[in-house]
Amino acid sequence: MIGKLKVYADRMSQPCRAVLIFCRLNGIDFEEIKVDISKRHHLSPEFTEVNPLQKVPAILHGNLNLFESHAILVYLSSAFPGIADHWYPTDVFKRAKVNSVLDWHHSNLRYGEVNYVSNTVLGPALGRPLNPKAAAEAEKVLLSSLSKLENIWLNGDGRFLLGNFQPSIADLSLVCELTQLEVLDEKDRSRILSPYKKVVGWIEDTRTATNPHFEEVHNILYRAKKKFQQQRSRIAESGTETSNNMGRHSKM
Amino acid sequence: MIDRREEKEERKMKLKVYADRMSQPSRAILIFCKVNGIDFEEIHIELSKRQQLSPEFQAINPFKKVPAIVDGRFNLFESHAILIYIASAFPGVADHWYPADVSRKAKIHAVLDWHHLNLRRGAAGFVLNTVLAPLLGLPLNKEAAAEAEKVLTSSLSTIENIWLKGDGQYLLGGFRPSIADLSLVCEIMQLQLLDEKEHDRILDPHKKVQTWIASTRNATKPHFDEVHNVLYKLKLRLSLKQSSQADGERKSGIKGPIISKM
Repeated sequence: MIGKLKVYADRMSQPCRAVLIFCRLNGIDFEEIKVDISKRHHLSPEFTEVNPLQKVPAILHGNLNLFESHAILVYLSSAFPGIADHWYPTDVFKRAKVNSVLDWHHSNLRYGEVNYVSNTVLGPALGRPLNPKAAAEAEKVLLSSLSKLENIWLNGDGRFLLGNFQPSIADLSLVCELTQLEVLDEKDRSRILSPYKKVVGWIEDTRTATNPHFEEVHNILYRAKKKFQQQRSRIAESGTETSNNMGRHSKM
Repeated sequence: MIDRREEKEERKMKLKVYADRMSQPSRAILIFCKVNGIDFEEIHIELSKRQQLSPEFQAINPFKKVPAIVDGRFNLFESHAILIYIASAFPGVADHWYPADVSRKAKIHAVLDWHHLNLRRGAAGFVLNTVLAPLLGLPLNKEAAAEAEKVLTSSLSTIENIWLKGDGQYLLGGFRPSIADLSLVCEIMQLQLLDEKEHDRILDPHKKVQTWIASTRNATKPHFDEVHNVLYKLKLRLSLKQSSQADGERKSGIKGPIISKM
């Protein structure tokens, strides 16, 4: 018998959340091992054994160690019994389409979102200077990606990506990426997301389809969101930048 | 004897690969199809003439990118998704390309995923911002080139020290190539467009990588070189330009590289 699945994760990391929600939703028996990025646990020799690229999420399953969240989600869909087909369809055509969204994601939604959030909120929280140029470039990629989601990926009869009636691992991965926008200033977040009605609806649908696990796994993010909001109002009130030690960031 | 209508239907059903051989992921698909004896039609989409923006091609791929395939009524883009589809949907594709074993398959997925924001971003960004931009009438972006170089050298180190670990000479210690080897090697081949000194500076430190490129090329011959012909021709044109430029500099004593160096 293969040993229990171990999932190495930091819940501030978008791809980690996708893997955790997937496991809990599908009743997979696993142990969650916290790797605190803000405390640089991912650089420890112990974790480097698990993943030489020092990134989360990573899993250990018997003899297999695996990283890259999409590879993990694909593996879990195939390796564990009783997982509903809609997550990663066995039909070769449907599967290919899911693969194409998963591929597109890296250089588009993920790239845009990560760089935008880190150059506006999360980076400065770690004492890095604001980089408006990088933020502007990232925003272009983010908005273009949202537009593609709105006008192409969410086309079809169903409410999920590719017009599907049920979520796939692609929905989970991309929605967990978009929830990271919660740490932005409310006005900024609304400015970015609200033009995309289908996208907003789809985020809700994915959340509903995966609750209560979705909410539970996102708890840390919501707490971080509150902290950032409080910090922003303090700065607004005092009119000066206070040095801060938020210490939380996602680095993937 | 097949009548005209049946012939037309059959032609419609044949796999169509929309590609530009200057595009690294396009080359991976073409080589894969040829090596595996897949019956297909290659349809050239000339990126330098912006043919990917035509309404006809947009109907095939609304993202306006190559490579893209049409198989009967099924369209698909994103080269990794295409490679996986072809490996799964066409009979006679040897297992080592995309193993049925769930764990080995998972590892290949991990490399394919890692590739996008690492090797691809670094290599494509570096070549674009040093060599290709002037050819496409785009401004050179030194900052972008420097950033891309960082990502490129870091990625090559990762391949050298982590991905090529193991007993075999292919990625993940494999003894035979997988779709990941084909995808990544085609990406690195774009570096052929750099001038000789730059190319060597970047690749020389990575001995395993060099061996691996040669192995992959060997395992897929003669198709590998045949598909890369367009790239080799451009490389030759560029190096002739460089040497005549160098001659000109020597004669006039003025320095002015055609290809921007960092």
